[in-house]
Amino acid sequence: MVSTFEEYEVIDLFSGWNPKTDPIINLINLKKWFPISEQSILFSRVVAQIKAVDGVNLFLNKGETLGLVGESGCGKSTTARVTVKLEEPTEGSIYFKGIDIFQPMTREEELAIKRQLQMVFQDPYSSLNPRRMVLDLIKEPFDIHFPDMTYEEKESRVLEILTKVGLEDYHALRYPHEFSGGQRQRIGIARALAIHPEVVLLDEPVSALDVSVQAQILNLLHDLQVEFNLTYMFIAHDLSVIKHVSDRVAVMYLGKIMEMSPTGELFRKTAHPYSVSLLSAIPRPDPRIKMDRIILEGDVPSPINPPSGCPFHPRCYKAQEICSQVTPTLDELEPGHFVACHFPEI
Amino acid sequence: MKMAKTILDVQDIYTYFYTESGVVEALDGVSFDVYQGEPVGIVGESGCGKTVTAKSTLRILDKNGKTVAGKIIYKGVDLLELPDLQMRKIRGKEIAMIFQDPMTSLNPIFKIDDQMTEVIALHRNCSRREALEYALEALEQVGIADAAARIKDYPHQFSGGQRQRIFIARALALQPSLLIADEPTTALDVTIQAQILELIKEMQKKHGLAMMLITHNLGVVAETTKRVHIFYGGRVVESGPTEDIFIDPKHPYTRALFDSIPSLEKDKHRLATIPGLVPRLINPPKGCRFHPRCKFATEICMRERPPDVIIDKQKGRRVQCHHFEELDLHVDDSTMKERTSIKEET
Ligand SMILES: Nc1ncnc2c1ncn2[C@@H]1O[C@H](COP(=O)(O)OP(=O)(O)OP(=O)(O)O)[C@@H](O)[C@H]1O
Ligand SMILES: Nc1ncnc2c1ncn2[C@@H]1O[C@H](COP(=O)(O)OP(=O)(O)O)[C@@H](O)[C@H]1O
Ligand code: SF4
Ligand code: SF4
Ligand SMILES: [Mg+2]
Ligand SMILES: [Mg+2]
Repeated sequence: MVSTFEEYEVIDLFSGWNPKTDPIINLINLKKWFPISEQSILFSRVVAQIKAVDGVNLFLNKGETLGLVGESGCGKSTTARVTVKLEEPTEGSIYFKGIDIFQPMTREEELAIKRQLQMVFQDPYSSLNPRRMVLDLIKEPFDIHFPDMTYEEKESRVLEILTKVGLEDYHALRYPHEFSGGQRQRIGIARALAIHPEVVLLDEPVSALDVSVQAQILNLLHDLQVEFNLTYMFIAHDLSVIKHVSDRVAVMYLGKIMEMSPTGELFRKTAHPYSVSLLSAIPRPDPRIKMDRIILEGDVPSPINPPSGCPFHPRCYKAQEICSQVTPTLDELEPGHFVACHFPEI
Repeated sequence: MKMAKTILDVQDIYTYFYTESGVVEALDGVSFDVYQGEPVGIVGESGCGKTVTAKSTLRILDKNGKTVAGKIIYKGVDLLELPDLQMRKIRGKEIAMIFQDPMTSLNPIFKIDDQMTEVIALHRNCSRREALEYALEALEQVGIADAAARIKDYPHQFSGGQRQRIFIARALALQPSLLIADEPTTALDVTIQAQILELIKEMQKKHGLAMMLITHNLGVVAETTKRVHIFYGGRVVESGPTEDIFIDPKHPYTRALFDSIPSLEKDKHRLATIPGLVPRLINPPKGCRFHPRCKFATEICMRERPPDVIIDKQKGRRVQCHHFEELDLHVDDSTMKERTSIKEET
């Protein structure tokens, strides 16, 4: 039996939200730019902007896993950090159960929202404070969100979640460096799930792990999702992992969503040339297969001066003149299948 | 079949590290070979001794490590017996290595120019002007645009993928006979990985280079190598042609490792996992080192080290398992298809 935190719930913010029809998370034209400034003795002035997230539109439905995939530096982690209110957006909005999470609000409301939105961080090696015991690391979210809870209750809840993620009681008294990469990732998961959030943003939770350990963590995440009825945004750059875990997939490139659709559809009826190129790049584990693949030339352009029009146009095999002039919008070409391209493959 | 000529013959090497908590038996009787002009895969989970094998071969182990027994025959000469001065000539000129982490493989404080021309001049016995020519030629081959200008830049001015390409250019400009590539693409995105692998394959064919490709990405192995050596717990547990290893594995670990790859097939079924963890190599398990995680283990497995059995000399097919003759680990077509298909059947 999973105990809830109902007795601690003081406010009801989300009465207007209908889980059957409305997305639980909705990102609308989200932008996050980081200014680069030039310092001198007299003044500091902004000389350029890193457009890490540059107009992202996507949504998550209650209980599903949305896979977010894209090359390094395309803005996945930044999107996630803004979504859990670790950073302020430059422009655009994020709705959680119909509430704009960046609208002015009381501290209680702020905490109520933040508790529901938790994140598991990319790097299991640096995301845990090395000087704190596992017990304290996992207890910390309780101290913030449930200051009235007794120490005994917090402790028993820590032990409960440790068991759930496949660790043992005695691990509570150890420090992060005493754990393997896979175990550290379990601690990160325990920390995020301890206070029973509704939405969990998993930032490359298995990228740093070996295949066999990776399989253990993926299974664990799946079990926890079923048990706690969680909604996941699962960030990865490995498409076979994305395909395995996701109900729907969003493909990101240079701060924008290129394509978003149900997983099967994305792989079967790939519409965006960037998605096509990504799929083509995956090495297949069968020595008998010989493939002709699309090799993308060069690197991802810098997000400081992203290409005009469609950001993919300098590397796209289908690009026409219009592609460098007009930015394609993310349109629903078929029910549930969104594509941002002037010449999609469907 | 033409008998290929062996360029590297590693015979029963033992490499130990002497640490505060005890002796790490990192390599425990490792034997394998590489033929001239042939790409060979070295596969296994992290910590199983892949990097230590490469470093033992080049004699660049950390100070606390030593290869205490065995022979490493390169072109007929035992590298472990060579005087330091001659060994230094082997490194780079004869055997070049590309490291796991593209961030650390180039020295951050020197321009690319300085890092390339000097070694080239030294190893190819030419003037610095000629060396610069060779360097530019190599950079162009690996697709660095505008090489003549960019060679004056520092490593941090390049992306991870570019740095890895530059490092490959440097290795190839020395015209080695054997290239050891230690997880050359693990830190990179799939699209960049595809670029680098394509490049390595091309270079390998063009220059008739022998290559040891160290990786745990089975897709990369399938596409790039002709033969594979599977490492586990500091031993080579199985060797053979790539196709045989994928389709007709003889060692339970090989099969278990391959089964844990997230399949590209859709079902959200659970991934097969290998129970437990990679063994620690201080006080490793007795007998077969895989026995604590092997579902076929019997009493003899805990007691006796399995012999190295040559199944097919011509093919270089070998296995270390007490029970391989009784086991049927053959991978059927539908399983193989599940592992590799991207598109679903409709
Ligand atoms: N605090 C910051 N200040 C300046 N630039 C930043 C900051 N955080 C991120 N960036 C830049 O924003 C872009 C997107 O970064 P982000 O970390 O979101 O990428 P990512 O898609 O998660 O990549 P990866 O797969 O490598 O984790 C990058 O160019 C990055 O260098
Ligand atoms: N300098 C060192 N001191 C002690 N142990 C080491 C050292 N370098 C490597 N090892 C150990 O040797 C084993 C094999 O390591 P390595 O070859 O790096 O693994 P991989 O197969 O991931 O490349 C591991 O148990 C590792 O911890
Ligand atoms: S809009 Fe044009 S450049 Fe962009 S992906 Fe589509 S075809 Fe290619
Ligand atoms: S020797 Fe025994 S424990 Fe080792 S792989 Fe074979 S069956 Fe398993
Ligand atoms: Mg990231
Ligand atoms: Mg290694």
